[in-house]
Amino acid sequence: MRIWRLLGVVAVLFAIGACCWVGAQGPAQNVAVINGYPVIWTDPAVASDWYDTEVMYNLYSPLVYPTPEGSVRPHLATSWAPVGGDLTHWRFELRQGVKFHSGNEMTAEDVAWSMTRFITMGRGNSGPLGKVTATVVDKDTVDFVLDKPSAIFPETLALFFPVEKELVLANIKKPGSYGELGDYGEEWLGTHDAGTGPYMMVSHIPGQSLEAVRFPDYFEGWTNDGWGPDEVPIERLIFIMETDYTTLMTLLKSGDLDLEINGGWTLPQLQQIKADPKLRLEYVWAQNVTVWMNTKRPPTDDEHFRKAVLYAYDYEAVVGPWAEFGNGETGIILPTMAGYVRIEPQPRQQDLAKARAELALSKYATGPVPPVVFHYCAGLSFEEEIGLQLQADLAKLGLTVEVAGPPWPQYSAECSSPETTPNMTIFLFAPQVAPPHDYYTFNMYHPNGLGWIFEAHWFFEDPEIIRLLELTRATVDFSERLQIYQQLQPMIAAHALAFYPYQKPTPFATQCYISGPKEKTNMVGPSENMHNWRINLAKKAGGC
Amino acid sequence: MAKYIALRLGQSIFVLFGLSLLIFFIARVVPGDPARVALGNLATEEQVQKLRAEMHLDRPFAVQYYYWLKSMLRGDLGKSLYTQRPVTTDLRQYIPATLELILFATLISLVFGQVTGVLAGYFRNSWFDNLSRLASYLGVATPSFVVAILLLFIFSQLLKLAPSVGRLPLMVKAPPTVTGFMIIDSLLAGRPDLTLLALKHLVLPAFSLAVIHIAQEGRITRSSLIENVQKDYIIAHEVHGIRPTKLVFKYLLKPSIIPTVTVMGLDFAFLMSNAFLVELVFFWPGFARYAVNAMLSKDLNAIVAVVLVIGVTFALVNLVVDTIITFLDPAIRIQRRGG
Repeated sequence: MRIWRLLGVVAVLFAIGACCWVGAQGPAQNVAVINGYPVIWTDPAVASDWYDTEVMYNLYSPLVYPTPEGSVRPHLATSWAPVGGDLTHWRFELRQGVKFHSGNEMTAEDVAWSMTRFITMGRGNSGPLGKVTATVVDKDTVDFVLDKPSAIFPETLALFFPVEKELVLANIKKPGSYGELGDYGEEWLGTHDAGTGPYMMVSHIPGQSLEAVRFPDYFEGWTNDGWGPDEVPIERLIFIMETDYTTLMTLLKSGDLDLEINGGWTLPQLQQIKADPKLRLEYVWAQNVTVWMNTKRPPTDDEHFRKAVLYAYDYEAVVGPWAEFGNGETGIILPTMAGYVRIEPQPRQQDLAKARAELALSKYATGPVPPVVFHYCAGLSFEEEIGLQLQADLAKLGLTVEVAGPPWPQYSAECSSPETTPNMTIFLFAPQVAPPHDYYTFNMYHPNGLGWIFEAHWFFEDPEIIRLLELTRATVDFSERLQIYQQLQPMIAAHALAFYPYQKPTPFATQCYISGPKEKTNMVGPSENMHNWRINLAKKAGGC
Repeated sequence: MAKYIALRLGQSIFVLFGLSLLIFFIARVVPGDPARVALGNLATEEQVQKLRAEMHLDRPFAVQYYYWLKSMLRGDLGKSLYTQRPVTTDLRQYIPATLELILFATLISLVFGQVTGVLAGYFRNSWFDNLSRLASYLGVATPSFVVAILLLFIFSQLLKLAPSVGRLPLMVKAPPTVTGFMIIDSLLAGRPDLTLLALKHLVLPAFSLAVIHIAQEGRITRSSLIENVQKDYIIAHEVHGIRPTKLVFKYLLKPSIIPTVTVMGLDFAFLMSNAFLVELVFFWPGFARYAVNAMLSKDLNAIVAVVLVIGVTFALVNLVVDTIITFLDPAIRIQRRGG
């Protein structure tokens, strides 16, 4: 029996140790635990989704920086101008004295090499750039030659993050897909960084966590201007990657999570957060809930039928309880963006008389009407809710709506052609492509736009819209371009290619001792740059 | 014995080959374009087609399988589209966390299951036996993830006795990875404080997984013990006045746990599949979580690797269990020798 006694003593000692540990509280640490979402790709040439961009803005710096009104301002580049008049050749002057995390100074060679790498790899956010040839003019000047003219080229570089050439070259893996350049450093950049951003990567376990510490030599500095006396820069960031919002709620309530930046909360969860004095909600950028109507498939192939849908939909019924969290009116672009124009239907409420009138004008006024197939992404209950609301609304017109939610791979694959796209598909479009005005217009309504889920209406028959969209990409002056966007919005809306149930602000849920963002931008990334946030350690220690 | 093990290993290779063929085919016929999912929303059609060609997705199924098998035999399971790194690296990263959880759960179920089973069997029809029967019914009927949520709510949220999620507190730096087992790595790093923390984090998820097996194994041990108690040699020992504790531990326990050990082999693989939901509830950075994400993002290479790992685990555990039973039961040993 001696063994049992020994085991008993060990068990008691462990129990005492465990009890002592419970209740022991450590000092307030200068750390922020942030939820980064399912997986983050940290190679700037591979990163593409908004979760990646949020981290990119912390580890790297873009060449130009998005402004709240939708344009860009100097950042790694201090100025830029087209060379010649055809907008295919751009010259960028670079900021001097910018340091990489290694301590080495950034040069034009790094920027040009990074652009060549970005375009050659052809991944991530490089698609909208087309073919770009980069050449070094001198140590602080770089030229970019494009395959097609673009007035918005400088603005697209808000998603171009230069890397340190020599460091990446020293870590390429051979053999790889790029001949002498092996894998172009892709594998190494998945778990290391070679950037100039405000934070330096310490470790990264893809799909699990990413840790970064403050870069003291960040070129924008770390002054406390505009911040409170106890608000200091955050020293350490830990990005976790959790998609289950019940778990995230547990973490937030227990104080294990400091900031959640993807906003997938349910309504009851948002209400709980709002009611908790130790937590707060911060709204920065919104997402546009868009229901595309496939113009190539009956019965949504008829413009009057589509307009009938616009008027039959009960906007207020779905927004209702969400209104206190900012959900509301939206249109072709987000209402928070400069140059927003209200579009039909106005006022945004159900008008069955108008709906019936439009239906009577359609080719489906008499005879059997095929059912409207509405697909949403499996697991997104708010999308399903919109489908079911539409089903109830169109039933009042005697129309049938079939609502189904296939999983994302299948759902997204359906949108690869007009023939396979259901009558209606719903998407949540976050301003994740630079520049955002171009993303919500050219990329969604021009035949050379992003296609696929971004253009699942499949309508490109209005030459005037196409001409104006092309004009936006040929207009360098931002305010002039805004005027064209204003002209375009009602023109696009007149074809009823989609209906927009509401804009969905992304609520950043944070602990009360976290402050920020200092500057709010209508684009994913800049607002999640933690240089733009502070922590109040006194409040943290005192529980606010 | 060696011949028997070699034969079983050979059979397992055929089974795994069939399994790989099956899952390879199923993963590819499920609708959805993995290249499109992998490249993200902003990829152009040209970029998608390029990746499809690189992944051989534009080739016939048999050719795709040939390329996969060729790489697999070199130890290369391909690249994960989800994490953008080799699947083998991912597996090395995630499997130890799940194994640690499952082994701990097995230990809990073994200890609690055997103790409950022996006591219930020895004191059959007593209040303890009735209570354990009721608890067993509840344990078997309640899914692991429900137990997980209940335990989380009671011990973490209400009583604040246990941490809620993860292998360590999120702000604590993990010890350097040597084995991937947090308890061992923290001890190797000379950090018993982290060992204690890791154990605390392990208790709730492991117990959530173990509950169903405690119930099941407890009942099996009880029945087996009752059956053995009635055998002549036990009655003879009792008549000779051998102390009850000696009788149980020396003469009754060994033959009574043979059915339980057999079930434990199956349970081990069952624990792995049950861990899918428990890992999600406890934000446990393990293999099961990785598998769920791989499936949701149609990560072909990762899906095939995940199924193969489960298949290999199943085959190995069954082999180990059969070997243990051979040692425990002389009758089987003699039978396999051809006696």
